[in-house]
Amino acid sequence: MTTDREKIVFAVSEALAAVLRRDQATIGEHTRLFDDLGLDSTSVLEVLMRLEDELDLEFDTDSLEQRHFETVGTLADFATEQG
Amino acid sequence: MQDFLRRLKAAVTGSPGTPLVLLGNFEVEERWAGDVPGLPKMGFSTSSALVNRMEEFTLLLGGPDDHVLLKEAPDPAYLDHLAELGIGLPRILCAARHDPQRTVTQDVLDDPALVAELTGLAARGAWLLTHGTSDLEEELARRTGLPLVGPDAATCRAVNSKIYSRRVAADTGLRQAEGWVAETVGEFEAVAAQAKGLLASGRTVVAKDAFGVSGKGILVVRDEQRLDRLAGMVRRRAFKHEEDRVALLLEEWVAKKADLNYQFTIARSGEVRFDFVKEALTEDGVHKGHRIPARLDETQVAELRKAAQVLGERLGADGFHGVVGVDAMVDPDGGIYPVVEINARSNMSTYQLRLQELFLGPGQVALARQYPLRLGRPLPYADLRRLLDGLLFVKGEGPSQGGGEGLIVNNFATVNAAGPAEGAHPVEGRLYGLLIAGDRHRLDDLDRRIAGRLAEESERSTS
Repeated sequence: MTTDREKIVFAVSEALAAVLRRDQATIGEHTRLFDDLGLDSTSVLEVLMRLEDELDLEFDTDSLEQRHFETVGTLADFATEQG
Repeated sequence: MQDFLRRLKAAVTGSPGTPLVLLGNFEVEERWAGDVPGLPKMGFSTSSALVNRMEEFTLLLGGPDDHVLLKEAPDPAYLDHLAELGIGLPRILCAARHDPQRTVTQDVLDDPALVAELTGLAARGAWLLTHGTSDLEEELARRTGLPLVGPDAATCRAVNSKIYSRRVAADTGLRQAEGWVAETVGEFEAVAAQAKGLLASGRTVVAKDAFGVSGKGILVVRDEQRLDRLAGMVRRRAFKHEEDRVALLLEEWVAKKADLNYQFTIARSGEVRFDFVKEALTEDGVHKGHRIPARLDETQVAELRKAAQVLGERLGADGFHGVVGVDAMVDPDGGIYPVVEINARSNMSTYQLRLQELFLGPGQVALARQYPLRLGRPLPYADLRRLLDGLLFVKGEGPSQGGGEGLIVNNFATVNAAGPAEGAHPVEGRLYGLLIAGDRHRLDDLDRRIAGRLAEESERSTS
């Protein structure tokens, strides 16, 4: 389980780094998506698509809630639920 | 002198002296979108408290004979400063309860005493000038008896759709990027297949929400796999909700040298008047301000004036009157894309007009800007005024007082709109202003110095 979780957290931070043009090394599990990284509504869809590609899953976009986008960790949890 | 507003009043209400009630319901697009699915998105907004306070822009559009509806009274020090500059302000009417998550219209509708007062204004001949009209503003007009300056909500919504823009451009022969519209899932899948042809030839595609706010609700697609992903998301959502409708566009993502925003007004008689063109400053597709005047030659301006006339006649025939803003682009060779999207509402640039009329002297240049702030505690206007000492607008010498330079804040409410509550983590704010200077160099220098001082304040406020 730990390995899966680490893999998902890595994929989330990689997707965020690519979309928001940040250094992935500065993004950790507790990094806040809006406050620390400046994620906006326009970028969310692109992040989700990258995660679908990377993790081979399909998001139910209707179930997106604010709590899923608090931190890298909460988005990783959401991705785990969708898997 | 208020040329624009007097002209608008005459064109739409029949008299340049009609008192207006101004309502700044920004991002009315959210309401227009309703339940028709666009691009998959989060069911929440992180900036609604801030966007809802953009209603304060109306304060500097109306004149002393007008009224403005606000969510909360402006900072008294801000009002004092505007009075010092000699700006005759409209009468301010505030809703009894300001809920940060609600639009100004919702706050007003929830205040029976204010609705009654507006009913009295209607009886004395006032009209309602909305930012844009949705069902909520229509309800306010109905409950108060205030006639709307523009057409009904259904017409505004239809005209504001990017699908309408594409169809009108095609019908009238105005240049636009290659693209397709989709109103059902099946249509979207069909146009996605066509768009793959563009991707296969190395070009880039952009998917847009027909009712997206400018700069939001777009997705840049660079490969077929990503387009398949998007189509999959749209299809799955439709299947889950048994909802076949969508409101989406796919277009080629064309190269551009500059973004433009121009405005025209359509009188009830159908007469079209070109108001202005400004250069829109954007960063990653998100609006950051305007440059006045736009860097265009006479031929380019003439082409835009002609497009405004063509569009105005078509919109008038389709039942629209009032203020129309159009986004346009200049391609790398100087060619014009005269209609990227039609906005059936006022625009950010509309709210700068009165300040331009009052303070922009001959030969002067202006920059409308928004500066981001990150605040750990509220920033009162008096503190901001001290912070920006030496950079704020000062009128020129001489009897005309023309030729003044500096920054005039044209929305202060958005600075502290998102909080912050004591002890909470820092929140984002925005300061909007119009910068005026004698030349481009002085203007850009002023802009840099203001941005620098505000960045220092953000640093102090959050440390």
